[in-house]
Amino acid sequence: MAIPGLEVLQASASLRGTGTGLRKLPTVSKLIDTSTCIGCKACEVACQEWNDLPNAKTSQHGNYQTLPTMNAEFWNLIKFNETEVDGSFAWLMRKDQCMHCADPGCLKACPAPGAIVQYSNGIVDVNPEQCIGCRLCETGCPFDVPRFSETTGKMAKCTLCVDRSVVGLEPACVKACPTGCLHFGTKEDMLELGNERVKQLKGDGYASAGLYDPQGVGGTGVVTVLKHADKPELYGLPRDPTVPTAVRVAKGWLRPLGLLGMGAVVLGLVGHYLRFGPREPPKGPPSSTPTAA
Amino acid sequence: MAEPLHAVTAHSSADPGILLAQGQEDLVVGDELVRFRYYTRVVHWGVALTFFVCLFTGLPIWTPIFGWLAALFGGLQVCRWLHPWTGIAFAVFALLQFVHWAGEMRLSAADKRFTANFLAYLRWETHDEDTGKYNGGQKVLFWLSTLASLGLLVTGVVLWWPQFFGAQLREVSWVLHDLTFILFMLMIFGHIYLAIAEPGTFSAMVKGTVTKAWARLHHPAWYRDVTGDSRR
Repeated sequence: MAIPGLEVLQASASLRGTGTGLRKLPTVSKLIDTSTCIGCKACEVACQEWNDLPNAKTSQHGNYQTLPTMNAEFWNLIKFNETEVDGSFAWLMRKDQCMHCADPGCLKACPAPGAIVQYSNGIVDVNPEQCIGCRLCETGCPFDVPRFSETTGKMAKCTLCVDRSVVGLEPACVKACPTGCLHFGTKEDMLELGNERVKQLKGDGYASAGLYDPQGVGGTGVVTVLKHADKPELYGLPRDPTVPTAVRVAKGWLRPLGLLGMGAVVLGLVGHYLRFGPREPPKGPPSSTPTAA
Repeated sequence: MAEPLHAVTAHSSADPGILLAQGQEDLVVGDELVRFRYYTRVVHWGVALTFFVCLFTGLPIWTPIFGWLAALFGGLQVCRWLHPWTGIAFAVFALLQFVHWAGEMRLSAADKRFTANFLAYLRWETHDEDTGKYNGGQKVLFWLSTLASLGLLVTGVVLWWPQFFGAQLREVSWVLHDLTFILFMLMIFGHIYLAIAEPGTFSAMVKGTVTKAWARLHHPAWYRDVTGDSRR
Protein backbone atom coordinates (compact mmCIF):
# COMPACT_ATOMS: atom_id res chain seq x y z
CA MET A 1 0.00 0.00 0.00
CA ALA A 2 2.29 2.69 -1.25
CA ILE A 3 1.15 6.18 -0.38
CA PRO A 4 1.80 8.52 -3.34
CA GLY A 5 4.27 11.19 -2.37
CA LEU A 6 5.50 9.35 0.70
CA GLU A 7 8.73 7.43 0.82
CA VAL A 8 9.23 4.47 3.11
CA LEU A 9 12.01 5.26 5.56
CA GLN A 10 12.26 1.78 7.07
CA ALA A 11 10.36 -1.44 6.52
CA SER A 12 10.07 -4.61 8.58
CA ALA A 13 12.36 -7.53 7.72
CA SER A 14 14.16 -5.41 5.13
CA LEU A 15 17.61 -3.92 5.00
CA ARG A 16 16.08 -0.55 4.24
CA GLY A 17 12.87 0.97 3.03
CA THR A 18 12.25 2.32 -0.44
CA GLY A 19 13.14 5.84 0.56
CA THR A 20 16.11 7.70 -0.82
CA GLY A 21 16.01 10.16 2.03
CA LEU A 22 16.59 12.96 -0.47
CA ARG A 23 13.18 14.51 0.13
CA LYS A 24 13.28 15.81 3.67
CA LEU A 25 9.81 15.65 5.13
CA PRO A 26 9.17 17.00 8.59
CA THR A 27 8.12 14.41 11.17
CA VAL A 28 4.42 14.85 11.86
CA SER A 29 2.91 14.54 15.31
CA LYS A 30 -0.34 14.62 17.15
CA LEU A 31 -0.57 16.48 20.43
CA ILE A 32 -3.05 15.17 22.99
CA ASP A 33 -3.79 17.52 25.86
CA THR A 34 -5.39 15.17 28.38
CA SER A 35 -6.13 18.10 30.68
CA THR A 36 -8.73 19.51 28.28
CA CYS A 37 -10.24 16.20 27.16
CA ILE A 38 -13.89 16.00 28.20
CA GLY A 39 -14.35 12.36 27.20
CA CYS A 40 -16.98 13.11 24.53
CA LYS A 41 -15.62 10.38 22.23
CA ALA A 42 -16.11 12.46 19.09
CA CYS A 43 -12.61 11.28 18.09
CA GLU A 44 -13.73 7.65 18.38
CA VAL A 45 -16.67 8.27 16.05
CA ALA A 46 -14.58 10.26 13.59
CA CYS A 47 -11.98 7.48 13.49
CA GLN A 48 -14.61 4.82 12.77
CA GLU A 49 -16.21 6.99 10.09
CA TRP A 50 -13.09 8.06 8.25
CA ASN A 51 -11.56 4.60 8.25
CA ASP A 52 -14.85 2.90 7.26
CA LEU A 53 -14.83 0.79 10.41
CA PRO A 54 -18.12 -0.72 11.64
CA ASN A 55 -20.02 0.43 14.70
CA ALA A 56 -18.62 -1.25 17.78
CA LYS A 57 -20.87 -3.24 20.06
CA THR A 58 -20.29 -1.49 23.36
CA SER A 59 -20.27 -3.09 26.77
CA GLN A 60 -20.66 -1.68 30.27
CA HIS A 61 -17.77 -2.16 32.68
CA GLY A 62 -18.66 0.33 35.37
CA ASN A 63 -17.24 3.39 33.63
CA TYR A 64 -17.74 5.53 30.55
CA GLN A 65 -15.33 3.59 28.35
CA THR A 66 -16.74 2.39 25.01
CA LEU A 67 -14.81 -0.89 25.05
CA PRO A 68 -12.47 -2.55 27.54
CA THR A 69 -9.58 -2.29 25.04
CA MET A 70 -8.99 -1.41 21.41
CA ASN A 71 -9.57 -4.07 18.77
CA ALA A 72 -8.79 -4.64 15.10
CA GLU A 73 -11.84 -2.56 14.13
CA PHE A 74 -11.47 0.10 16.82
CA TRP A 75 -8.14 1.95 16.76
CA ASN A 76 -8.82 4.94 18.97
CA LEU A 77 -10.23 4.46 22.46
CA ILE A 78 -10.66 7.02 25.22
CA LYS A 79 -9.59 5.35 28.46
CA PHE A 80 -11.35 6.57 31.60
CA ASN A 81 -9.18 6.07 34.64
CA GLU A 82 -10.69 6.75 38.05
CA THR A 83 -7.94 7.05 40.60
CA GLU A 84 -6.59 9.00 43.54
CA VAL A 85 -3.87 11.61 43.30
CA ASP A 86 -2.49 13.25 46.44
CA GLY A 87 -5.43 12.06 48.49
CA SER A 88 -8.16 13.37 46.22
CA PHE A 89 -10.21 11.79 43.45
CA ALA A 90 -8.94 12.18 39.90
CA TRP A 91 -10.79 11.32 36.71
CA LEU A 92 -8.10 10.92 34.09
CA MET A 93 -8.93 10.47 30.43
CA ARG A 94 -6.45 9.39 27.85
CA LYS A 95 -6.68 8.74 24.14
CA ASP A 96 -5.31 5.22 23.57
CA GLN A 97 -3.97 4.67 20.06
CA CYS A 98 -0.76 3.85 18.19
CA MET A 99 2.04 6.09 19.46
CA HIS A 100 3.97 6.07 16.14
CA CYS A 101 7.35 5.54 17.82
CA ALA A 102 10.46 6.87 16.15
CA ASP A 103 12.02 3.49 17.01
CA PRO A 104 9.04 1.17 16.48
CA GLY A 105 9.23 -2.16 18.34
CA CYS A 106 6.44 -3.61 16.16
CA LEU A 107 8.43 -2.96 12.99
CA LYS A 108 11.56 -4.46 14.53
CA ALA A 109 9.63 -7.55 15.63
CA CYS A 110 7.79 -8.08 12.32
CA PRO A 111 9.21 -10.97 10.20
CA ALA A 112 7.25 -10.17 7.02
CA PRO A 113 9.16 -7.89 4.62
CA GLY A 114 7.36 -4.59 4.31
CA ALA A 115 4.34 -5.54 6.45
CA ILE A 116 5.09 -2.69 8.85
CA VAL A 117 6.62 0.47 7.45
CA GLN A 118 7.67 3.85 8.73
CA TYR A 119 7.12 6.63 6.21
CA SER A 120 9.52 9.50 5.85
CA ASN A 121 7.13 11.72 7.84
CA GLY A 122 7.43 9.35 10.81
CA ILE A 123 4.05 7.62 10.53
CA VAL A 124 4.14 3.87 11.30
CA ASP A 125 1.69 1.88 9.19
CA VAL A 126 0.65 -1.73 8.55
CA ASN A 127 0.60 -3.12 5.00
CA PRO A 128 -2.12 -5.76 5.07
CA GLU A 129 -0.91 -7.27 1.77
CA GLN A 130 2.36 -8.24 3.39
CA CYS A 131 1.07 -9.06 6.90
CA ILE A 132 1.15 -12.80 7.66
CA GLY A 133 -0.77 -12.50 10.92
CA CYS A 134 1.96 -13.99 13.11
CA ARG A 135 1.20 -11.52 15.94
CA LEU A 136 4.86 -10.93 16.82
CA CYS A 137 4.23 -7.17 16.64
CA GLU A 138 1.95 -7.59 19.67
CA THR A 139 4.98 -8.71 21.65
CA GLY A 140 7.16 -6.06 20.01
CA CYS A 141 4.95 -3.12 20.99
CA PRO A 142 5.67 -1.56 24.41
CA PHE A 143 2.24 0.14 24.36
CA ASP A 144 0.07 -2.93 23.65
CA VAL A 145 -1.39 -1.38 20.49
CA PRO A 146 -1.43 -3.75 17.46
CA ARG A 147 -4.60 -5.80 17.28
CA PHE A 148 -5.10 -9.08 15.41
CA SER A 149 -8.32 -9.57 13.47
CA GLU A 150 -9.67 -13.11 13.58
CA THR A 151 -11.77 -12.33 10.50
CA THR A 152 -9.01 -10.99 8.25
CA GLY A 153 -6.06 -12.80 9.85
CA LYS A 154 -4.14 -9.51 9.77
CA MET A 155 -3.02 -6.87 12.21
CA ALA A 156 -4.60 -3.43 12.34
CA LYS A 157 -3.98 -0.17 14.16
CA CYS A 158 -4.15 3.63 13.88
CA THR A 159 -2.51 4.96 10.70
CA LEU A 160 -2.37 8.54 11.99
CA CYS A 161 -4.69 9.05 8.99
CA VAL A 162 -1.71 8.89 6.64
CA ASP A 163 -4.15 9.14 3.72
CA ARG A 164 -5.28 12.53 5.09
CA SER A 165 -1.97 13.90 6.32
CA VAL A 166 -0.26 13.23 2.98
CA VAL A 167 -2.67 15.67 1.33
CA GLY A 168 -2.34 18.26 4.05
CA LEU A 169 -5.32 17.36 6.24
CA GLU A 170 -5.23 16.69 9.95
CA PRO A 171 -6.27 13.23 11.19
CA ALA A 172 -10.02 12.65 11.51
CA CYS A 173 -9.91 12.57 15.32
CA VAL A 174 -8.18 15.97 15.45
CA LYS A 175 -10.75 17.39 13.03
CA ALA A 176 -13.61 16.20 15.23
CA CYS A 177 -12.30 17.23 18.68
CA PRO A 178 -14.60 19.96 20.03
CA THR A 179 -12.37 21.24 22.86
CA GLY A 180 -9.17 21.69 20.92
CA CYS A 181 -7.36 19.17 23.06
CA LEU A 182 -6.05 17.50 19.89
CA HIS A 183 -3.57 19.21 17.59
CA PHE A 184 -1.67 18.06 14.53
CA GLY A 185 1.46 19.42 12.89
CA THR A 186 5.20 18.98 12.79
CA LYS A 187 6.74 17.33 15.81
CA GLU A 188 8.66 20.52 16.49
CA ASP A 189 5.48 22.61 16.57
CA MET A 190 3.64 20.09 18.73
CA LEU A 191 6.47 20.04 21.28
CA GLU A 192 6.42 23.83 21.44
CA LEU A 193 2.64 23.90 21.83
CA GLY A 194 2.75 21.15 24.41
CA ASN A 195 5.47 22.84 26.45
CA GLU A 196 3.45 26.06 26.50
CA ARG A 197 0.44 24.17 27.79
CA VAL A 198 2.61 22.48 30.44
CA LYS A 199 3.82 25.91 31.58
CA GLN A 200 0.20 27.03 31.86
CA LEU A 201 -0.75 23.95 33.87
CA LYS A 202 2.19 24.48 36.22
CA GLY A 203 1.01 28.05 36.72
CA ASP A 204 -2.42 26.66 37.56
CA GLY A 205 -0.88 24.62 40.38
CA TYR A 206 -0.18 21.32 38.61
CA ALA A 207 3.46 21.21 39.67
CA SER A 208 4.13 17.80 38.11
CA ALA A 209 2.55 18.58 34.73
CA GLY A 210 4.68 17.54 31.77
CA LEU A 211 4.96 16.15 28.25
CA TYR A 212 4.95 12.42 27.59
CA ASP A 213 7.37 11.83 24.69
CA PRO A 214 9.30 8.75 25.89
CA GLN A 215 12.88 8.77 24.66
CA GLY A 216 13.32 5.02 25.20
CA VAL A 217 11.55 4.53 21.86
CA GLY A 218 13.22 7.56 20.30
CA GLY A 219 10.25 9.76 21.11
CA THR A 220 6.72 9.20 19.83
CA GLY A 221 4.66 10.67 17.04
CA VAL A 222 1.88 11.14 19.56
CA VAL A 223 2.88 13.61 22.26
CA THR A 224 0.72 13.74 25.37
CA VAL A 225 0.29 16.52 27.91
CA LEU A 226 -0.23 14.99 31.37
CA LYS A 227 -1.20 16.85 34.54
CA HIS A 228 0.61 14.15 36.48
CA ALA A 229 3.58 13.45 34.22
CA ASP A 230 5.52 12.05 37.17
CA LYS A 231 3.04 9.17 37.30
CA PRO A 232 2.21 8.13 33.70
CA GLU A 233 1.00 4.78 35.08
CA LEU A 234 -2.09 6.58 36.38
CA TYR A 235 -3.09 7.05 32.74
CA GLY A 236 -2.15 3.51 31.79
CA LEU A 237 1.07 4.66 30.10
CA PRO A 238 4.35 2.81 30.70
CA ARG A 239 6.91 4.86 32.64
CA ASP A 240 9.93 4.20 30.46
CA PRO A 241 8.92 2.21 27.38
CA THR A 242 11.63 0.68 25.19
CA VAL A 243 11.75 -1.82 22.36
CA PRO A 244 11.24 -5.06 24.36
CA THR A 245 14.39 -6.90 25.42
CA ALA A 246 13.26 -10.05 23.60
CA VAL A 247 13.13 -8.21 20.27
CA ARG A 248 16.57 -6.74 20.83
CA VAL A 249 18.06 -10.08 21.95
CA ALA A 250 16.39 -12.18 19.24
CA LYS A 251 17.06 -9.81 16.34
CA GLY A 252 20.21 -8.08 17.54
CA TRP A 253 22.11 -11.01 19.05
CA LEU A 254 20.63 -14.44 18.41
CA ARG A 255 20.03 -13.89 14.72
CA PRO A 256 23.56 -12.77 13.78
CA LEU A 257 25.09 -15.34 16.12
CA GLY A 258 22.86 -18.07 14.70
CA LEU A 259 23.78 -17.19 11.14
CA LEU A 260 27.45 -17.12 12.11
CA GLY A 261 27.01 -20.50 13.82
CA MET A 262 25.38 -21.98 10.71
CA GLY A 263 28.21 -20.74 8.52
CA ALA A 264 30.87 -21.92 10.94
CA VAL A 265 29.35 -25.40 11.34
CA VAL A 266 28.86 -25.91 7.59
CA LEU A 267 32.41 -24.75 6.87
CA GLY A 268 33.68 -26.85 9.77
CA LEU A 269 31.99 -29.99 8.48
CA VAL A 270 33.30 -29.47 4.95
CA GLY A 271 36.75 -28.85 6.43
CA HIS A 272 36.42 -32.01 8.54
CA TYR A 273 35.56 -34.12 5.51
CA LEU A 274 38.49 -32.72 3.55
CA ARG A 275 40.89 -33.29 6.44
CA PHE A 276 39.71 -36.65 7.79
CA GLY A 277 37.64 -38.05 4.95
CA PRO A 278 35.06 -40.80 5.21
CA ARG A 279 35.53 -43.46 7.86
CA GLU A 280 35.15 -46.60 5.76
CA PRO A 281 34.67 -49.99 7.40
CA PRO A 282 37.77 -52.14 6.74
CA LYS A 283 37.66 -54.29 3.62
CA GLY A 284 38.42 -57.98 3.68
CA PRO A 285 37.00 -61.01 5.45
CA PRO A 286 34.91 -60.34 8.55
CA SER A 287 37.39 -62.26 10.73
CA SER A 288 39.95 -59.49 10.50
CA THR A 289 39.71 -57.46 13.65
CA PRO A 290 38.89 -53.82 12.93
CA THR A 291 41.10 -51.25 14.53
CA ALA A 292 41.10 -47.53 14.57
CA ALA A 293 41.16 -46.41 10.96
CA MET B 1 11.30 -65.99 16.90
CA ALA B 2 12.57 -64.98 13.49
CA GLU B 3 11.02 -66.59 10.45
CA PRO B 4 13.53 -68.94 8.82
CA LEU B 5 15.40 -67.21 6.05
CA HIS B 6 14.44 -69.72 3.31
CA ALA B 7 10.77 -69.10 4.02
CA VAL B 8 11.18 -65.44 3.26
CA THR B 9 13.35 -65.87 0.19
CA ALA B 10 11.35 -68.72 -1.32
CA HIS B 11 8.73 -66.46 -2.88
CA SER B 12 10.65 -63.27 -3.45
CA SER B 13 13.69 -62.02 -5.23
CA ALA B 14 14.04 -59.02 -2.89
CA ASP B 15 16.93 -58.61 -0.46
CA PRO B 16 16.15 -61.01 2.40
CA GLY B 17 17.61 -58.53 4.87
CA ILE B 18 15.18 -55.87 3.76
CA LEU B 19 12.27 -58.29 4.04
CA LEU B 20 13.24 -59.30 7.55
CA ALA B 21 13.76 -55.69 8.52
CA GLN B 22 10.05 -55.13 8.01
CA GLY B 23 9.22 -56.62 11.36
CA GLN B 24 12.35 -57.36 13.36
CA GLU B 25 15.73 -55.93 14.13
CA ASP B 26 19.02 -57.12 15.70
CA LEU B 27 19.29 -60.15 13.39
CA VAL B 28 21.96 -61.56 11.08
CA VAL B 29 21.07 -62.01 7.43
CA GLY B 30 23.94 -63.29 5.35
CA ASP B 31 26.61 -60.61 5.34
CA GLU B 32 24.32 -58.02 6.90
CA LEU B 33 22.76 -57.15 10.21
CA VAL B 34 19.23 -55.84 10.53
CA ARG B 35 19.62 -52.63 12.53
CA PHE B 36 16.28 -50.81 12.23
CA ARG B 37 12.95 -52.42 11.53
CA TYR B 38 10.24 -50.73 9.50
CA TYR B 39 8.54 -49.03 12.46
CA THR B 40 11.82 -47.58 13.75
CA ARG B 41 12.63 -46.16 10.33
CA VAL B 42 9.15 -44.74 9.73
CA VAL B 43 9.19 -42.96 13.08
CA HIS B 44 12.68 -41.59 12.49
CA TRP B 45 11.79 -40.41 8.98
CA GLY B 46 8.61 -38.85 10.38
CA VAL B 47 10.72 -36.91 12.85
CA ALA B 48 13.22 -35.97 10.16
CA LEU B 49 10.73 -34.79 7.53
CA THR B 50 8.57 -32.79 9.94
CA PHE B 51 11.76 -31.34 11.42
CA PHE B 52 12.85 -30.06 8.04
CA VAL B 53 9.44 -28.72 7.08
CA CYS B 54 9.44 -26.86 10.40
CA LEU B 55 12.98 -25.65 9.77
CA PHE B 56 12.36 -24.53 6.19
CA THR B 57 9.09 -22.77 7.07
CA GLY B 58 10.63 -21.26 10.20
CA LEU B 59 13.88 -19.96 8.67
CA PRO B 60 12.16 -17.41 6.37
CA ILE B 61 10.20 -16.15 9.39
CA TRP B 62 13.46 -15.97 11.37
CA THR B 63 15.31 -13.86 8.82
CA PRO B 64 14.57 -12.61 5.28
CA ILE B 65 17.97 -13.99 4.23
CA PHE B 66 16.12 -17.32 3.99
CA GLY B 67 13.04 -15.72 2.43
CA TRP B 68 13.59 -17.81 -0.71
CA LEU B 69 12.78 -20.97 1.29
CA ALA B 70 9.22 -19.66 1.73
CA ALA B 71 8.73 -20.05 -2.03
CA LEU B 72 9.06 -23.83 -1.61
CA PHE B 73 5.77 -23.80 0.28
CA GLY B 74 3.94 -21.01 -1.55
CA GLY B 75 5.05 -17.95 0.36
CA LEU B 76 5.44 -16.59 3.85
CA GLN B 77 1.72 -16.64 4.59
CA VAL B 78 1.67 -20.39 3.98
CA CYS B 79 4.74 -20.82 6.16
CA ARG B 80 2.99 -18.96 8.94
CA TRP B 81 0.27 -21.63 9.31
CA LEU B 82 2.21 -24.63 8.03
CA HIS B 83 4.96 -24.08 10.62
CA PRO B 84 2.89 -24.51 13.80
CA TRP B 85 0.77 -27.38 12.45
CA THR B 86 3.87 -29.24 11.26
CA GLY B 87 5.31 -28.47 14.68
CA ILE B 88 2.47 -30.46 16.21
CA ALA B 89 3.17 -33.34 13.81
CA PHE B 90 6.85 -33.14 14.74
CA ALA B 91 5.99 -33.26 18.43
CA VAL B 92 3.88 -36.40 17.85
CA PHE B 93 6.68 -38.18 15.96
CA ALA B 94 9.22 -37.01 18.53
CA LEU B 95 7.06 -38.48 21.28
CA LEU B 96 6.74 -41.81 19.41
CA GLN B 97 10.49 -41.87 18.90
CA PHE B 98 11.10 -41.03 22.55
CA VAL B 99 8.88 -43.88 23.74
CA HIS B 100 10.48 -46.22 21.20
CA TRP B 101 14.10 -45.47 22.11
CA ALA B 102 14.18 -44.09 25.66
CA GLY B 103 14.79 -47.51 27.21
CA GLU B 104 17.94 -48.07 25.15
CA MET B 105 19.46 -44.66 25.73
CA ARG B 106 20.93 -44.99 29.22
CA LEU B 107 24.62 -44.03 29.08
CA SER B 108 26.99 -46.91 29.84
CA ALA B 109 30.61 -46.59 30.98
CA ALA B 110 31.70 -46.98 27.34
CA ASP B 111 29.28 -44.23 26.29
CA LYS B 112 30.74 -41.88 28.87
CA ARG B 113 34.21 -42.68 27.54
CA PHE B 114 32.87 -41.93 24.06
CA THR B 115 31.56 -38.48 24.97
CA ALA B 116 34.70 -37.69 26.98
CA ASN B 117 36.81 -38.52 23.91
CA PHE B 118 34.47 -36.91 21.40
CA LEU B 119 37.17 -34.79 19.75
CA ALA B 120 39.41 -37.84 19.35
CA TYR B 121 36.40 -39.64 17.86
CA LEU B 122 36.02 -36.82 15.32
CA ARG B 123 39.64 -37.47 14.33
CA TRP B 124 38.54 -41.11 13.76
CA GLU B 125 41.04 -42.14 16.45
CA THR B 126 38.76 -43.98 18.88
CA HIS B 127 37.52 -47.54 18.81
CA ASP B 128 35.83 -48.94 21.90
CA GLU B 129 35.00 -52.67 21.92
CA ASP B 130 32.23 -51.96 24.47
CA THR B 131 30.25 -49.59 22.25
CA GLY B 132 26.76 -51.04 21.90
CA LYS B 133 23.96 -50.49 19.41
CA TYR B 134 24.05 -46.75 20.11
CA ASN B 135 27.21 -44.85 20.99
CA GLY B 136 27.52 -42.11 23.59
CA GLY B 137 27.17 -39.38 20.99
CA GLN B 138 23.92 -40.80 19.67
CA LYS B 139 22.54 -41.13 23.18
CA VAL B 140 23.46 -37.59 24.14
CA LEU B 141 21.89 -36.40 20.88
CA PHE B 142 18.76 -38.36 21.77
CA TRP B 143 18.39 -36.66 25.16
CA LEU B 144 19.26 -33.18 23.86
CA SER B 145 16.79 -33.62 20.97
CA THR B 146 14.09 -34.66 23.42
CA LEU B 147 14.78 -31.59 25.53
CA ALA B 148 14.88 -29.31 22.48
CA SER B 149 11.65 -30.76 21.05
CA LEU B 150 9.88 -30.21 24.33
CA GLY B 151 11.23 -26.66 24.55
CA LEU B 152 10.19 -25.84 20.98
CA LEU B 153 6.71 -27.26 21.59
CA VAL B 154 6.09 -25.30 24.80
CA THR B 155 7.51 -21.99 23.54
CA GLY B 156 5.86 -22.55 20.16
CA VAL B 157 2.43 -22.86 21.73
CA VAL B 158 2.96 -19.52 23.49
CA LEU B 159 4.02 -17.86 20.22
CA TRP B 160 1.09 -19.45 18.38
CA TRP B 161 -1.57 -18.17 20.80
CA PRO B 162 -0.07 -15.00 22.31
CA GLN B 163 -3.49 -13.78 23.47
CA PHE B 164 -3.53 -16.34 26.26
CA PHE B 165 -0.13 -15.41 27.73
CA GLY B 166 1.43 -12.40 29.40
CA ALA B 167 3.98 -10.14 27.74
CA GLN B 168 6.91 -11.48 29.77
CA LEU B 169 6.16 -15.11 29.00
CA ARG B 170 5.82 -14.25 25.30
CA GLU B 171 9.17 -12.49 25.34
CA VAL B 172 10.95 -15.36 27.11
CA SER B 173 9.32 -17.88 24.74
CA TRP B 174 10.45 -15.93 21.70
CA VAL B 175 14.09 -15.88 22.80
CA LEU B 176 14.06 -19.53 23.90
CA HIS B 177 12.35 -20.70 20.68
CA ASP B 178 15.08 -18.99 18.62
CA LEU B 179 17.94 -20.16 20.82
CA THR B 180 16.67 -23.76 20.94
CA PHE B 181 16.09 -24.05 17.21
CA ILE B 182 19.55 -22.66 16.43
CA LEU B 183 21.31 -25.19 18.67
CA PHE B 184 19.01 -28.04 17.57
CA MET B 185 19.58 -27.23 13.91
CA LEU B 186 23.37 -27.20 14.34
CA MET B 187 23.23 -30.55 16.19
CA ILE B 188 21.17 -32.07 13.37
CA PHE B 189 23.66 -30.74 10.81
CA GLY B 190 26.33 -32.72 12.68
CA HIS B 191 24.08 -35.78 12.96
CA ILE B 192 23.43 -35.89 9.21
CA TYR B 193 27.06 -35.15 8.41
CA LEU B 194 28.23 -38.15 10.43
CA ALA B 195 25.79 -40.37 8.55
CA ILE B 196 27.51 -39.23 5.37
CA ALA B 197 31.08 -39.24 6.68
CA GLU B 198 30.69 -42.77 7.98
CA PRO B 199 29.67 -44.67 4.83
CA GLY B 200 27.20 -47.50 5.37
CA THR B 201 25.30 -45.62 8.07
CA PHE B 202 22.57 -44.21 5.88
CA SER B 203 21.60 -47.69 4.73
CA ALA B 204 20.42 -48.42 8.29
CA MET B 205 17.74 -45.75 7.96
CA VAL B 206 16.83 -46.61 4.35
CA LYS B 207 16.99 -50.39 3.96
CA GLY B 208 17.21 -51.11 7.68
CA THR B 209 20.39 -53.15 7.29
CA VAL B 210 24.11 -52.55 7.74
CA THR B 211 27.12 -54.61 6.75
CA LYS B 212 28.95 -56.75 9.29
CA ALA B 213 32.11 -54.73 8.71
CA TRP B 214 30.24 -51.51 9.52
CA ALA B 215 28.78 -52.97 12.68
CA ARG B 216 32.16 -54.29 13.88
CA LEU B 217 33.74 -50.89 13.32
CA HIS B 218 31.09 -48.64 14.84
CA HIS B 219 29.12 -50.80 17.26
CA PRO B 220 31.32 -53.78 18.19
CA ALA B 221 29.42 -54.84 21.33
CA TRP B 222 26.16 -54.82 19.40
CA TYR B 223 27.83 -56.85 16.65
CA ARG B 224 28.94 -59.48 19.15
CA ASP B 225 25.48 -59.61 20.76
CA VAL B 226 23.66 -60.08 17.47
CA THR B 227 26.09 -62.45 15.78
CA GLY B 228 27.18 -64.43 18.83
CA ASP B 229 30.70 -63.99 17.49
CA SER B 230 32.70 -63.16 20.60
CA ARG B 231 36.02 -62.54 18.84
CA ARG B 232 37.27 -59.06 19.59
